[in-house]
Amino acid sequence: MDQALQHLVNGTVLGGTYALLGIGLTLIFGVMRVVNFTHGELYAFGAYMVYALVSLLGINFYLSLLLAALLGAALGAAIELLLLRPLRRADIDSVMLVMIGAALVLQNAEMWGWGGVAKLVPSPFAGTPLVVGPISVMPLRIFVLLVACALLLGFWLLLDRTRAGTAMRATFQDAEAAALMGVRVGWVNTATFAIGSGLAAAAGALLGPVFMVSPTMGDLVGLKAFAIVILGGLGNLPGAAIGGFALGYIEEFGGGYVSTEYRDAFGFLLIILVLAIRPQGLVAPRERVG
Amino acid sequence: MLRLEEVEVAYGRVAALRGISLEVREGELVSLIGANGAGKSTTLKTVSGLLKPAAGRVTWDGQPIAGLSPREILRRGIAHCPEGRRVFPHLSVRENLMMGALLRRDAAGIAQDLDAMYARFPRLQERAGQAAGTLSGGEQQMLAIARALMSRPRLVMFDEPSLGLAPALVQQVFEIVQEVRRQGLMVLMVEQNALAALGLCDRAYLLETGRVVRAGSGPALMASADVREAYLGGRAFAA
Ligand SMILES: Nc1ncnc2c1ncn2[C@@H]1O[C@H](COP(=O)(O)OP(=O)(O)O)[C@@H](O)[C@H]1O
Ligand SMILES: [Mg+2]
Repeated sequence: MDQALQHLVNGTVLGGTYALLGIGLTLIFGVMRVVNFTHGELYAFGAYMVYALVSLLGINFYLSLLLAALLGAALGAAIELLLLRPLRRADIDSVMLVMIGAALVLQNAEMWGWGGVAKLVPSPFAGTPLVVGPISVMPLRIFVLLVACALLLGFWLLLDRTRAGTAMRATFQDAEAAALMGVRVGWVNTATFAIGSGLAAAAGALLGPVFMVSPTMGDLVGLKAFAIVILGGLGNLPGAAIGGFALGYIEEFGGGYVSTEYRDAFGFLLIILVLAIRPQGLVAPRERVG
Repeated sequence: MLRLEEVEVAYGRVAALRGISLEVREGELVSLIGANGAGKSTTLKTVSGLLKPAAGRVTWDGQPIAGLSPREILRRGIAHCPEGRRVFPHLSVRENLMMGALLRRDAAGIAQDLDAMYARFPRLQERAGQAAGTLSGGEQQMLAIARALMSRPRLVMFDEPSLGLAPALVQQVFEIVQEVRRQGLMVLMVEQNALAALGLCDRAYLLETGRVVRAGSGPALMASADVREAYLGGRAFAA
């Protein structure tokens, strides 16, 4: 029982960042109908930026997190403007190929720029765990969960409560009708890609100090992001949040009770099950925010 | 005043408009009639900036507007209520109406117009918080019209506002279109229901395969033999 509580806590921490990752990816798919293969690399980018800012430039840890997310958003905006905008009228195959190419370029650039050795990001949090009854948690992990939840809440408020958010959801649902209302659909696309990428970079920036930062970290995470999005249903924002936490728990409990080595496999096992039994995702399509 | 001169529009290589000229003058209600595929919707999309003409001129108050973005054209006072209603299904009724006022910054005026829409369409007020996709077809059409009016346009273009509605609702829609005109707005209306459209309008244009084949007052077009035959006795009327 105590062990289960411990896994629950760990799964929640992991799930929060997975939710960020999934929401970013599903948002981009929902608005732009683009399958973003660079998502995992933006996650890695966020992690490397925190490493560079904190370890190499000596910038304050919290400020570095913020900057890493913003740089991720800027990189996303650049990808949208340079690669996707010229392909607005291209078929889906061309867009996919270009995105796969971009992911390869980013990954190799990381390898080239940072080398193959994993890096450690120092954080200002104590290395001794907080112990509450039977549960012990690293303070850094609590911080990561709080920031992830704050970002999720902030994103939801932006989408649900602001004029820009409403325009974004409208574009999600009917881009031509939105254009007739005066929405600059091109800018909504850029903003969407930037926000989605910023969320991925934020997730990487948050988990970078928890784990290690390595050039291949983006691959596995990219796959996981797709797993989360499939769990929640493509283009389904609340679904992505739920899928993120679901994956966090599955990995944590699977890794804890069955096998640590196959920890990453449990998530994919779940995807296969979901696709076989409930291909529309765990969450009903009518609950989509879009 | 809106004026189109020899406007040509193509989808890829397929010509949809082959030199259309028409006008909507201050205070007028102008109808655009014609069979399916004649180019009526294409004409409206060209005016609202969704499509760019390959040739010809579109002017609004004497200024060329062809090639401007839909946003810029809306800002200049032309609203387009598209075919098939196109309300945002997962936005609430109220959010849909607010989308219509997206470019406006006068909060007080927007609130006032919102109240006016609710007063005119009590059903929309009752369902203000509900997703627009859950409304009936008639309610969605009312919402689409109200949404277009929320931008406070000087010219509003309706594309087949009566399409797919029960006869009682069709009547209501036409009453609303007349009200809009009485408020001093210019109206350009596309209609399959030629009889109703000709009865309502100041002037009308008959389109066939991307060309204006007849123009004149409503009664004049109604009296013309080919219009009677093709649109008033035949399929369009039966539909
Ligand atoms: N998106 C499109 N792509 C290609 N052809 C189109 C498209 N929309 C309309 N057309 C063609 O353009 C012509 C005019 O269409 P449209 O303006 O929609 O006619 P109407 O509104 O009078 O029924 C038709 O021949 C139609 O098939
Ligand atoms: Mg049409």
